[in-house]
Amino acid sequence: MERLNFTHPIHLIVGLTLWSVWFVAVYSGLSVACAVNPPSPEARSLTLLNAGLGGFTLLCAAGLVLLAWGCCRTAKQHQGRQRFHAVVSGWLYLFSAFGVAFAGLPIIGVPPCL
Amino acid sequence: MKSVNQEAVEQDPQQLHEDLHDIWGNPKGLKALTIVNHTTLGLRFMITGMVFFLIGGILAMLVRTQLAMPDQDFMSPEIYNQVTTMHGTVMMFLFAIPMLEGLAIYLIPKMIGARDLVCPRLTSLGYFCYLFGGIILTSSLIIEMAPSSGWFMYTPLSSKEFAPDLGSDFWLLGITFVEISALSAGVELVVSILRTRTQGMALHKMPLFAWYILAMALMIVVGFPPLILGSVLLELERAVGMPFFQIAGGGDPVLWQHLFWLFGHPEVYIIFLPAAGIVSTLIPVFAGRPIVGYGWVVAAITIMGFISFGLWVHHMFTIGIPQLAQAFFSAASMLVAVPTAIQVFVWIATLWLGKPKMKLPMLWVMGFLIIFVCGGLTGVMLALVPFNWQVHDTHFVVAHMHYVLVGGMFFPLIAGLYYWLPLFSGRMPSENLGRWGFWLTFLGFNGTFLIMHWTGLLGMPRRIYTYEAGSGWEIFNLLSSISSFVLSAGIAMVLLDIALHFRFGKPAKHNPWNADTLEWANTMPPSAYNFVSLPSVETRHPLWDDPNLPHTMAEGKHSLAVASHGRREMWGTDPITGKVREIIHLPGNSWWPLFAAAALAVVCLSLLTKVYVLAGVFVMIAGIFLLRWSWENGAHPKAAPDAGVKPGDPPLHSRTMDGPGLWAMGVFLIANGSFYLSYLFGWFYLWTVSPEWQMPETPPLSLIIMGAAGVAVLAGCGVMEKLVRGLRQQRDAGLGAGFYLAAALGALQVGLMGWALWQAELAPTQTSHDAVMLVGLVYALFHGGLAVVLTVLQGLRVGYGYVGAHAPFEPGVVALLWRYNVVTFGLLIGALAVLPRVLGG
Repeated sequence: MERLNFTHPIHLIVGLTLWSVWFVAVYSGLSVACAVNPPSPEARSLTLLNAGLGGFTLLCAAGLVLLAWGCCRTAKQHQGRQRFHAVVSGWLYLFSAFGVAFAGLPIIGVPPCL
Repeated sequence: MKSVNQEAVEQDPQQLHEDLHDIWGNPKGLKALTIVNHTTLGLRFMITGMVFFLIGGILAMLVRTQLAMPDQDFMSPEIYNQVTTMHGTVMMFLFAIPMLEGLAIYLIPKMIGARDLVCPRLTSLGYFCYLFGGIILTSSLIIEMAPSSGWFMYTPLSSKEFAPDLGSDFWLLGITFVEISALSAGVELVVSILRTRTQGMALHKMPLFAWYILAMALMIVVGFPPLILGSVLLELERAVGMPFFQIAGGGDPVLWQHLFWLFGHPEVYIIFLPAAGIVSTLIPVFAGRPIVGYGWVVAAITIMGFISFGLWVHHMFTIGIPQLAQAFFSAASMLVAVPTAIQVFVWIATLWLGKPKMKLPMLWVMGFLIIFVCGGLTGVMLALVPFNWQVHDTHFVVAHMHYVLVGGMFFPLIAGLYYWLPLFSGRMPSENLGRWGFWLTFLGFNGTFLIMHWTGLLGMPRRIYTYEAGSGWEIFNLLSSISSFVLSAGIAMVLLDIALHFRFGKPAKHNPWNADTLEWANTMPPSAYNFVSLPSVETRHPLWDDPNLPHTMAEGKHSLAVASHGRREMWGTDPITGKVREIIHLPGNSWWPLFAAAALAVVCLSLLTKVYVLAGVFVMIAGIFLLRWSWENGAHPKAAPDAGVKPGDPPLHSRTMDGPGLWAMGVFLIANGSFYLSYLFGWFYLWTVSPEWQMPETPPLSLIIMGAAGVAVLAGCGVMEKLVRGLRQQRDAGLGAGFYLAAALGALQVGLMGWALWQAELAPTQTSHDAVMLVGLVYALFHGGLAVVLTVLQGLRVGYGYVGAHAPFEPGVVALLWRYNVVTFGLLIGALAVLPRVLGG
């Protein structure tokens, strides 16, 4: 249970691990969908595939922001080593959320399989 | 914090030094080959790396001579291709990584207050694998049979059809051999940093250099296996015709590009991170103040470690990937500029708020800042897909790459070498010669590569051996070539300075730069055991906060100042808090690493010369050497038969359930897992993308037999877990029999797998489907067999009294392998036997 606490250093890598999982999921999901059942090029970016990838991206970004907020709250209650871990983890969660949103931004306007 | 074993026992420091030297000292003559000490091996890595650097540098000069003027025939196209390929290969694989690893191997224990790395024999094995692999690879130049397909060995250019001679084989086998070395260093650096910091050195008090090396080592562990897999597959294709990368057989050459760049892009950051660690160490020392934003730097290192794995496709923007996928990788490539910028601003802020002294090492740091920032900016340009398309495969990319790699690695490396030179030798370098060296290198470098940006923008492609007069590239190439010789003169001057200083350098005073980290508490040059006594450190700047610390450490006034037991000892500490958990006892000098590496070298040469029987024999011999090595552990008479410790001290690690070997196995399994995931990626990639992939109508693997094998390995793992649980509660009744039962279950799994394989009647040279399936099954067979052998050995060790309730450590390590086997075998059944039945072709 100690590992679930935001003062544990495992959180230094959880946010970016989630970013990696998101990245692999959208890239491989896109590749498989384009290979198996590509949407019509006429639909441009208004496809179910874009919607699915976009929804997943939003969900991941929101989850990461929540985790960053949790770290921020926890950091205020501690000093020293535990505060250090919580603060750095919080920034890393926030960066991961930004990374998901930024790298996922093209989903809005780019056709998936062209 | 109350430190363990802090009460100082009054001892004669000189006597203590002599006693410790008897235990840790290096032998001379032929026995010097048995040395496992990190200081000696770190220096060997660096000296060997510099030799390869000179070879790579000479190759670069040959390239620039050839390109100095149009229509030159100084080299034939064939030789030119070999020279360019080997220049890149030597610099990346035989210089950059081993050199930085050598520096880390040398420095990390000293910085974290330890006496050695945690697996000294592994350091030695890594060195010999590097040396032998490097010699095998570079010998191809002498016989004019060097690889010639570019340092990234793209298929089909590197395949049998277009590269029928041995060049590609030299590359694939030599590099794989050298990568054993990189992985060895990666594993032990991770474990050493996490588990052997001196007491009190909590994670957030660790020197920044250790953070950088921790990230680098973990990246090696995860990043190198995809290339090892790719190399194995390509060598199998070349040697026996398994069509992994051939369209006609259901393979895909693009798979090689994915596997190569999955390694290749993180590789750039694997090289950059330790170099940035040098910069983050030097700037506070010469600015005379702590670094601004320690936490920001830790965050930036972590971000780089992850994001750099999400950029690999930006090397493949021109191969026909969907726009949206390109956009993902373009955005990720831009994201990595954020942590880089954080570090640059931290360095500038530290210099701004301090009082920088522009000594020789700082000159190289300033050169780094200028060149690397320029290289980073062209990197952001290359992350933009349309621009990337325009300059792809031109000299612009060559210029960018050298700005990042030479600016980002070579300049900090020289800064670091000048900074730690007094520690290596006890002498100071010449400021005059050093400054001449710097300015010639800096001007020569920019003259060579700044101009190359224009040559590239004018359209000059990479890897062409000559060009016609009137193309508009002549003057730029001539200037680049002249500058490259100025650059060489600068580097020669630096090397001359370093060589001369050993004889003529002024003797250095203790801690000559007024540094804050523990390595400067050593004698100069350091002793084999680093420190007479190990201090409690609860600050990021131990030598600034207690300038007297080196003296009290040398006088034996801190912990573990004992030599009477005859063991090589140091602390094993909690990875987070730095509290002492156990005493780690280390093995002494050994022939086994050299023997194992020599046997592997024979395997490599046998594969090159296609004498496969001999290769098989020497694989067995190497295995025997490695197992014999593993035998001398724990309670073995050559390790630590006597578990006695001083009253109040923690137990020896081999008498606990959690020693460094467990962590080393865990980290090794991460590397192994990366290899396995790369394999699964290859399977699914070919299945999804390859146009000629043929999924058989009836899946060849019997689900029933594979399922039965799965049950067997699961049962074996259950037995192992039960035995380990018993040991945790000090129960060892029936331990030996339990191991033999688990081994029998493992043997049953191997037998069933063999049966499934025989029954499947695969045709691995006909279709990539069967070839990939065969590789997966051989992987599982090997791991199953390994678990059986190791478990039988545990049974034998119980009989010898080396394992039991009194020494319960080792079974937990073997049990970890069993867990891994259960998971990977389950995934294998799912991927190869279940999904094809569910999804069809």
